[in-house]
Amino acid sequence: MGTDPLDAGRCRTDQCRSLPRPERGVETNQIALAGIGAAASFAIFQLNIPVWGGIHMNLTGLVGILAGPLLGALIALVVNIFSAALGHGAVGLLGANTLVNASEAIVAYYAFKTLMGMDWDVFPAGASAATVGLSAGAFLMGAIIVISGVNGSALPRGDLTIAVAGLVGLNLGVAVIEGLLTGFIVQFLASVRPDLVGLTDRDAHEEPSEVTA
Amino acid sequence: MQRWKQYGGLTALFASFLAAGYWGFIATGGAVPWAKRSAQALQRGVQEGSGALVDFGRGVVVAGPIRKGGLLVEFGGLVALLVVFGIGLYVYVDRYGGFGDDDRSARYP
Repeated sequence: MGTDPLDAGRCRTDQCRSLPRPERGVETNQIALAGIGAAASFAIFQLNIPVWGGIHMNLTGLVGILAGPLLGALIALVVNIFSAALGHGAVGLLGANTLVNASEAIVAYYAFKTLMGMDWDVFPAGASAATVGLSAGAFLMGAIIVISGVNGSALPRGDLTIAVAGLVGLNLGVAVIEGLLTGFIVQFLASVRPDLVGLTDRDAHEEPSEVTA
Repeated sequence: MQRWKQYGGLTALFASFLAAGYWGFIATGGAVPWAKRSAQALQRGVQEGSGALVDFGRGVVVAGPIRKGGLLVEFGGLVALLVVFGIGLYVYVDRYGGFGDDDRSARYP
């Protein structure tokens, strides 16, 4: 059992229940993770990969799982601002893009939390949570476009809805790729530093540095 | 939960999303980049197209506005800055135990 990589970082029910409930607010290690998450998300945001015709990934699911919903939403804003500053994404769409990306991080975080609470392994929980989070963002994107309409488009609302459904569908396919990637990353982090994904108390694994009387 | 149920659920989720993705790929123009695809779909509606789902020959390219605007150096610099800042924060927190509070508990009870 110990040699199976899927067992690494698995949250066993009794172990998880014994962990203290965190205080409200942001933990310090989450702030550090937020910095790394912002860098990774921003970098991968700008890289177009030759799959599904040419798409880019966001890593917002991973960011949400690692940094939490509050910092995840903040990272989405920062990444979109930097991207718009470099010309990738219109400034006028900053609000909508941030809303979509933030929803992905938030949904991924709560989906991961729920699945881990159901005693899932880390990989399927991470991959499913990221995929579901990204799909939530895709549906929100479609809803925003259909509700607000498109400037200069002569398409009737019904045709626009079908066209947007196609774009949402494509994003669901992309979500699978990003979900797989996220699952592997979360699985790796859980095996080397389970505290980073909230699976165990880091202090519980540290050797005492001094002897007290 | 039993492992086969977890992976069965994950496989079903992936299969349904990949099917939706393939339909979206075909319905919105086939093998065209996202910006062109969305502009075309939102202006002219769904138009079927084809082409390879994966085209490794094209390689990974930096986003058009950055590449065409000659901002590759700035992009690299910004990424490097964020990476250094992020890793710096991580190392600081790891070495000194945070920024003053000592809350290092798990987040998923």
